[in-house]
Amino acid sequence: MYAQAFFVTVFGLAAIGFGVVVFRTSSMVRSALALLFSQTAVGCMFLAMQTEFLGVLQIMMMATEMSIMAIFMVMFMMDPGGLGGMDMSHQKRFSIGAGGSAAVVAIAVALLSNWGPAAEQVVDAEAQTRALGMELLGRSMMIFETAGITILTAMIAATAVAIPVQNLASKDDKEASE
Amino acid sequence: MLQRLVSRALAHNLGCLVVPGPEIALAHGLDVTAAGMRTSNTPRDASVLLIVGELSEKMSDAVAVLYAQMPRPRAILMVGGQAPSTLPGADISVGLSQEKLTEAVGKLQRALADGAFTDSPEDFDADVLHAKIEYVCPMHPEVVKDEPGSCPKCGMDLVAREAGESTPDHDHEHHHDEHQHHGPEHEHDYHDHGDGNEHDHSQENTGTEYTCPMHPEIVRYEPGSCPKCGMDLVVREDAEDEGDSDESAAHDHEGYDHGGHDHGASGFMSMIEVTKDLPRSADGLQMDWLEVPFGPVFPGLPGGLKLTLTLDGDGVTEGLATSLVGITTEGEEGEGSQESEEMNADTFIEHLSSAVPLAPVSYRLLACLAIEKATGLSDDQALTQARNSALERERIGSHLGWLAQSGRQLGFAWLTQQASTLQLQVREADRDRLVALEPSLRALGARLERTPLLKSRLKGIGVLPADSYDLRGPVSRTAEEGGDAWARLWQRLAEVTASLDLIKASGEPELPSLRDIGDVSGTGEATVDTPRGEARLSLKLEHGKVKSYKLDTACSHHIDLVPKLVEGQELGDALLAAGSLDLSPWEVIS
Amino acid sequence: MTVAIVLLALFGSAWLLAVIEGWMVTGRLSPAAPLFSGLAHLGRESILPRSPDRVFFEAAPVLLLVVAVLGMAVLPLAPDLIIADLGTGALFINAALAYVLVAVIMAGWGPDGAYAMIGGWRFLGQLIAYSMLIVMPITAVAMRAESLLNTAIVGSQAVLWNIVYQPLGFVLFFIAAMALAFRAPFDLPTAEGELGGGVDAEYTGVRLAVLRLARLTLVVTLASATTVFYLGGWHGPLLPPWAWSLIKTLAVAVSMLLVGRYLPRIREADLMRWCWILGIPLALLNIIIVGLLILVVP
Repeated sequence: MYAQAFFVTVFGLAAIGFGVVVFRTSSMVRSALALLFSQTAVGCMFLAMQTEFLGVLQIMMMATEMSIMAIFMVMFMMDPGGLGGMDMSHQKRFSIGAGGSAAVVAIAVALLSNWGPAAEQVVDAEAQTRALGMELLGRSMMIFETAGITILTAMIAATAVAIPVQNLASKDDKEASE
Repeated sequence: MLQRLVSRALAHNLGCLVVPGPEIALAHGLDVTAAGMRTSNTPRDASVLLIVGELSEKMSDAVAVLYAQMPRPRAILMVGGQAPSTLPGADISVGLSQEKLTEAVGKLQRALADGAFTDSPEDFDADVLHAKIEYVCPMHPEVVKDEPGSCPKCGMDLVAREAGESTPDHDHEHHHDEHQHHGPEHEHDYHDHGDGNEHDHSQENTGTEYTCPMHPEIVRYEPGSCPKCGMDLVVREDAEDEGDSDESAAHDHEGYDHGGHDHGASGFMSMIEVTKDLPRSADGLQMDWLEVPFGPVFPGLPGGLKLTLTLDGDGVTEGLATSLVGITTEGEEGEGSQESEEMNADTFIEHLSSAVPLAPVSYRLLACLAIEKATGLSDDQALTQARNSALERERIGSHLGWLAQSGRQLGFAWLTQQASTLQLQVREADRDRLVALEPSLRALGARLERTPLLKSRLKGIGVLPADSYDLRGPVSRTAEEGGDAWARLWQRLAEVTASLDLIKASGEPELPSLRDIGDVSGTGEATVDTPRGEARLSLKLEHGKVKSYKLDTACSHHIDLVPKLVEGQELGDALLAAGSLDLSPWEVIS
Repeated sequence: MTVAIVLLALFGSAWLLAVIEGWMVTGRLSPAAPLFSGLAHLGRESILPRSPDRVFFEAAPVLLLVVAVLGMAVLPLAPDLIIADLGTGALFINAALAYVLVAVIMAGWGPDGAYAMIGGWRFLGQLIAYSMLIVMPITAVAMRAESLLNTAIVGSQAVLWNIVYQPLGFVLFFIAAMALAFRAPFDLPTAEGELGGGVDAEYTGVRLAVLRLARLTLVVTLASATTVFYLGGWHGPLLPPWAWSLIKTLAVAVSMLLVGRYLPRIREADLMRWCWILGIPLALLNIIIVGLLILVVP
């Protein structure tokens, strides 16, 4: 119990620490990977809280997602290496306010909501996974399948939009050259 | 104890970086692996710098950079040449032969085992390694000073940058050789522009305008925040004042790293803005461009050849090939500096053949033929046959060398090993030996045909442009049938078998040597079909001495194809296309 | 104790693999060569590039090694010879392997060199190509075992190995595993002939020693995963279970090295195209076939 609390605290602090690094560095890649490790720490918190499937899933998904984010940051941002020392921040006052109030709300929710009694015994990971599978392919199947298909459609649509129409592009080029 | 063990380990793990390139070592018949060393592809992985033959001046500078990149303990091993002045001097220097190389490696190993830690390795330093810092005005790129200060045109503080960083035509091999650290440094520049704009304008211009980065229609004359989104307003660059000069600057530089000029308008800069004026590359993505050098000592390219590619992500937008080891001929020597010291006919032949280590026999033959033409000697049937045999043997060897080189480029270890083994065997083989090797040569071709992935890798790569002219050799022979790297591979393999048949028909190969010409004068012209295409030589002979000469080689024409072949290709394809031409930088006239 | 045995098996296999690799390249079989080469790296200068992202540059080889070891931790050598038999083992191995990508990106970005950077981003560019073909075949394997426990997955193959039950999945997984370990012919991030070593290019000395060890270990881990998922893990006659696991793992690892020697490097665009157009549909087909088999065959 104490060990569990200890690990949850350590990973929680690590998550916050990496989260701070995200904003303390001006290198886009560092920022993205710091966010990744912050999320990984959250995944480790899940593990420490004996929700193995969620934890492993979080750790797995974030690796690829944040890496992809890193390359987009490099592609679209000026000075991705952060070598120029450019100040990337803007709207400081507004964002501090928004961040602060969001934190207050989150803490309030954590403190004020009724979490119910703490579970005495947690079922083991295998049983959890089985229960999750039953849930996903039972009661919640429609919801998840719909969500899955929607996301897939969105991805295909986004790809289709991103592919330049050949004729149109050449026409644009011609216009540009004229 | 541990030190001794480590020393021994070091001595038995010699990775050698061959300069100018492994293909030169092979052409000289040196087998580095048999001598007890590993071939390293990069200086970082090497502990021995193996220099084969004499180096040109430009190569010496490049080699100094390579040496500086090698981790200590490191050694220089010279084979058949003088240590270039840019290096601290050879640790061991031997003649050009396999036995001597093996012996030298043994010596080197003993020296390393004994003293890797005893003598303190000194820091190596050379002029070429120092990056020159120069100061430029962020607004006026034409202002370049050696010292910090302010711009005479606008009074802005000058910004430091490394010399050669932004001028594409500037000769900047010194810090752009094999391993360069470009990347984010370019962005550094952008930033300086933007920064400079903001600060200096706010101080100087009294009528400074402030605008919202997101809503350009918001313009205020004092700082504050945007009424629409609340963002802080940023200084707007005065369009009338600076606009024109910015425009021209951006155009002059083709956006190499000055895309940042017209960004004063927004403090919130993105790559989209930076790249919006750049020409689009083939994949339609606009990205920051990097000018990356490949060579002159690069595992995928023949040594001495330097490819400067402008990369847009993984795509090549522009490429330029230069040779750092080209032969200095085409009459210059004859008419200009060397007019007074005209060369003996024999010296001339030696000079020519040693200048072209990848095809010495062909050029020896070329020189012999031209001189004999000049003297008016008649053809001798038997001699011609023997000489042709030697030429064909060299063609086989050369094509095998190209196969080994391609294997290196393709990461096809088996091909490299097989082709270089065969090349070493063919090099000085007599006719019987060549006949005995025929099955393995044919098997190599059959094997390549069955290799999966190879066709998909080569097909459609390096297709010759329709208007290419003055093609020679294997490159021209495939120009009609697709003219891609795949066709060139098969052309060369076919030539290997054809050459074998020729040798079988014509007899024992014999190195061409000059017949007795006496003390005659005249002019002669000869053409030899070297492995890379016809080479032509015309020379003027006076009293048995070469007065002047003019050389025309295939590779000097083929090297001009490179920019067209690499443009718009992916990096791997671009390098493959350049490699498939079988350029010999030594045969490029400089 | 189990931890020590598994680690010993892992690094022992990596050493054997290095010996065999040396044998293939030089034609000499010298068992001491990898150790000597490691020692030599320790004796060499460990150069720091001119303006590195120090954190990434230092962390990348270590992260790669940690990933390989963590992956091995959930793979059983014998029924009770496993460091952690996680209830989500088959998923965990995916999670661990996802960080190979992170390590390669770090190694590419860290040295601030054009070659390395292109290499690192190349690996990311191919992400969909190989990662989908790792995850989807494993799904089919877990379907048959009706569990994510790796020991249960091996147990499900007691009668019939998965290589026979779902050969399509095996082929896809094997190819994707090679791409993930970036061995030839999938060595796009390191590509010596194209990028002069790419992400490896700037590493020397101790850092290079760690990086090389990590890459070999990664091959062993992936080979071990292939063994567990498709080759019946520890099942086999006569020999003790752990021996079978080791033999199969080594055989898979060596075949990964061998394949690369006889093939030219694949084109980036081709790898991507084939994985999208051929690989992913085939992987889906594999899942459907296995699903039908499970339903039809009791």
